[in-house]
Amino acid sequence: MGVLCALLALGLGVVLTGAYNIEVRDGDGWRSLAQRQRTRRLHVTPKRGTIYDRHNTPLAVSVEVPSVSVDAVELLRGIQEEYISMRVQQYATRIAEALHLPVEVVAKKLARHRRFAWLKRRVTTEEVASVRALQNRRQRYPVRGLMIEGEGRRFYPHRSLASSLLGFVAPDGMGKEGIELALDTQLRGRPEEIRGLRDRAGRLIFAEGIQDEAALAGHNVVLTIDQGIQFIAERELEAAVRTHEARSGSIVIVDPSTGEILAMANAPNYNPNDYNVSSAQQRRNRANIDSFEPGSTFKVFAMATALAAKSVRPTDTIYCEEGRMPIDNVVIHDTHPSKWLNPTQIIQISSNIGIAKISLGLGGQKLYDGLRRFGFGTATALPLPGRVAGTLRPRGRPWVPVETAAAAFGQGVSVTNVQLTMALAALANKGRLLEPIIVKKITDSTGIVLHEASPKVRRRVVSPRIARLVAEMMSSVTEGEGTGIEAAIPGFRVAGKTATAQKIDPATGRYNDTHYVASFMGFVPAARPRLAVSVVIDEPMAGTTAGGTVAGPVFRRVVEMSLRYLGVRPRGTRTMNLTKLAKTPKELKGTNAAARLTEPVPVAAYTGRGGVRVPKLQGQAVRSAVQALVEAGLIPVVRGSGRLARTEPPTGTRVARGSKVTLVFEPQT
Amino acid sequence: MMRGPVLQGRARDHFDWPLFLVTAVIAVLGVVNLYSATSVYFGTSRSGLSEIYINQLYWLAIGGVVAAGVAAIDYRHFERFGYLIFVAGVFSLALVFVLAQDVRGAARWINIGSFSFQPSEFMKICLIIALAKFLHDDPRHEERSLKDLLVPAVITLVPALMVASQPDLGTAIVLVLIFLSVVAITRVRRRTVLGFLGSVVVLVPLIYEYALPYQRARVTAFLNPGADLSGAGYHAYHARIAIGNGGALGQGFMNGIQNQYRFVPDQYTDFPYPVFAEEWGFLGSMLLFGLYGFLVLWSIRIASLARDRFGTVIAVGCGALIFWHAVINLGMASGLLPVVGMTLPLFSYGGSSVLTVLIAIALLMNVSMRRHGGMSASGL
Repeated sequence: MGVLCALLALGLGVVLTGAYNIEVRDGDGWRSLAQRQRTRRLHVTPKRGTIYDRHNTPLAVSVEVPSVSVDAVELLRGIQEEYISMRVQQYATRIAEALHLPVEVVAKKLARHRRFAWLKRRVTTEEVASVRALQNRRQRYPVRGLMIEGEGRRFYPHRSLASSLLGFVAPDGMGKEGIELALDTQLRGRPEEIRGLRDRAGRLIFAEGIQDEAALAGHNVVLTIDQGIQFIAERELEAAVRTHEARSGSIVIVDPSTGEILAMANAPNYNPNDYNVSSAQQRRNRANIDSFEPGSTFKVFAMATALAAKSVRPTDTIYCEEGRMPIDNVVIHDTHPSKWLNPTQIIQISSNIGIAKISLGLGGQKLYDGLRRFGFGTATALPLPGRVAGTLRPRGRPWVPVETAAAAFGQGVSVTNVQLTMALAALANKGRLLEPIIVKKITDSTGIVLHEASPKVRRRVVSPRIARLVAEMMSSVTEGEGTGIEAAIPGFRVAGKTATAQKIDPATGRYNDTHYVASFMGFVPAARPRLAVSVVIDEPMAGTTAGGTVAGPVFRRVVEMSLRYLGVRPRGTRTMNLTKLAKTPKELKGTNAAARLTEPVPVAAYTGRGGVRVPKLQGQAVRSAVQALVEAGLIPVVRGSGRLARTEPPTGTRVARGSKVTLVFEPQT
Repeated sequence: MMRGPVLQGRARDHFDWPLFLVTAVIAVLGVVNLYSATSVYFGTSRSGLSEIYINQLYWLAIGGVVAAGVAAIDYRHFERFGYLIFVAGVFSLALVFVLAQDVRGAARWINIGSFSFQPSEFMKICLIIALAKFLHDDPRHEERSLKDLLVPAVITLVPALMVASQPDLGTAIVLVLIFLSVVAITRVRRRTVLGFLGSVVVLVPLIYEYALPYQRARVTAFLNPGADLSGAGYHAYHARIAIGNGGALGQGFMNGIQNQYRFVPDQYTDFPYPVFAEEWGFLGSMLLFGLYGFLVLWSIRIASLARDRFGTVIAVGCGALIFWHAVINLGMASGLLPVVGMTLPLFSYGGSSVLTVLIAIALLMNVSMRRHGGMSASGL
């Protein structure tokens, strides 16, 4: 009996010691295991922030697209060893059929016997339905362990619109180019592990951070881009590049009073929703990272510098050697041979000899300093990938006279389109050079503003008087005998400058006569500029190659439509009260104001009592609906995707010009 | 409860209150624990498998009535029908082979009407009674040799082998352990003991050789714990995590997170202890072990005070039944023993198990109430 009692006591003692060891002695270890088990794989990827244009139209949004994963341990639980390979094959066949995957791939994943493996990312609605059918427990052999999880996917509702500026996001959630790359940290949010709990099947039951999801989500970025103007610029640029069989092109549009970039268009471009079928060439943000020899557009900056230094006066006349002037061993030519020209005429007909003589009178160092003050040779502070400074002194030493003369008409130097547009904007903005702004605002997901850009003056380059003087000279380019007559916009004075720059043939290292960069830059209205625009077309081939005839018309169309879109009155006079106009047409008849209204503005936009009717756009695709709305002088706000279901306010409602109209798109069924 | 006319006045006076109360406490704790074990999260909501603890209450009620009946009939009547009861048990085991339903690869149950019935559980009681009958009929005081133990060994091995072939290794082991426990109170020759131990050493590898793959995997998992945590070692590993998560004082009732999120496998059949340990900690474990320890030691006391040899063996057998179930179940949950299907008395869910344990308690009560009629059997 004693033996038995001792045995029993021993048994109980052993078990009790076991419990002590697990719960008390090694308790911390087991508890940390428990903790790990519950919190494992709880990486909740935050929603990536949205990128908006200046009117809060979404340009890049993240949407949830489901993915399917499998818990192979759960799937194969309870199956005896000898049947496992057979069952793996059976399950793999069914799963592969549902997800349209090769059977071997699925079988391999199942045979690994892991608790988690992705089967297919980004499944379709039909595939989700098939998976749900497999899971259905009512059938004889339901497939256990299949999980459907949402996964963030980037979507660009306007497809190629501003694509080279926006960039794209790789499937791992990393921004790859453009704004997506430059502001990746802000957009991505904090992909932290949430301290939460999951059950055995891996389902999230409770997470401490889940109510804080907004804090984890990425920030929203509001760009200065105006979707409507960007659209206009891209359409016209693409058409021009196609018509002239050009290699590429870019347009930058800036608001000269703030430095905000309203459009940055590149051609060719790509659809970031399908970025993997595009080439690196298509994805280049040429406006920001491609430097080129500007050619004659540079004359205005040389002229402004010389006028500011008083080395030339507006009333001077310069002998232009009848179109041929040797400097050292180089001969400079003019397209239009002339004898005596004043500075205005030099700009108007773009005389190389005239500006060369002025710059030689100014001196190489002073010209160089002046161009530096316009921002050339220094990379802009734009928060975009790639910082290109361009070069003013490619040989790294002060210019010799022939180089000074060449720099004055834009040879031997290189700039980016953004630099060029900002320098142009300085002339339009009373001589003050502004920082370019592309990010207007960054807000967190709850709407709190984290960063808001405000105009920043880099320096005063020239005095307002000189700026006005140069603007006046530039206005002559689009008038009379000017080279940019094709950029003239009826009803507005356009201050502009053409350029037809020869390109250096990389094979010979010399300028050749077949490859050009045709460009036109200008600001409108000349007296009180609203837009500073630079159009650059690289290597136009078909027909003409002159800047005035290739880039000029693109400038005209883009600016004309953009001004209408912005609601800027012709002749740029005081804003007129349209309601008043319509009520008292007789009073205005014969006056200047009425006459000014005649030219470019479509009558439709001014019908009725001084407003615009929301056009009927139902059933149209995003792009065409936006285009139509922009042309009617309204600002589109796009919501949803698919075909236009309705507008807010509804079709036919009379609204003030420049009002926002929400376009609600719904997928077609 | 037991106020039937069959009870003699003296027996009624000797109603074993400690036995009854401790059993009642374990049963109540068991039901409460089942309630918690089955109130787990499914998806995002906590939904109970409420019918499980309710069913357990039904079984306890039925078991109570059966136990009252068993306790009321003087155990000496069982002595008379000892072998008959045993043969009935073996016959019902044989029926399993004919009628059984396959559940998870093993045939252990017979369906009668709407409920299923597990003869192997009741076989344990039948074996105890048969062994008691044999030793009662063979009252010798000298040391026994192997030859003298042949008959009880056969009595044990016949049902044990039948059960093992179902296959239900756990129950077969318990049958053998009950036999060994009963033999331990008789005087056995040293030679016999050594011979037995020697044969165990020889037999264990042989048994392992003939064991089924899943059984072998469990032993491997036990000997080599970290090896296959998502396969054969899964149960033991997760049970231990839950126990360890309880710590010294526990997480509190209904707060065992590992259980709530369904990390504890088979939490209401084979592994109710991890649920209990997670909620009540080492403190609760000590209480639980104390209760089982009391039952076992109390049954030894009953055995030593029993009026005859039959009662003594019955008490030892019933004590051994509870002891081995508790120790093996707790041992496998704590990772001290390989995983075998073994219920924790009155904590695990299951009608056959509850009935068997309550019948064993009733037999103890029966022997205890009628202890003062004859000689003490301590000199067995």
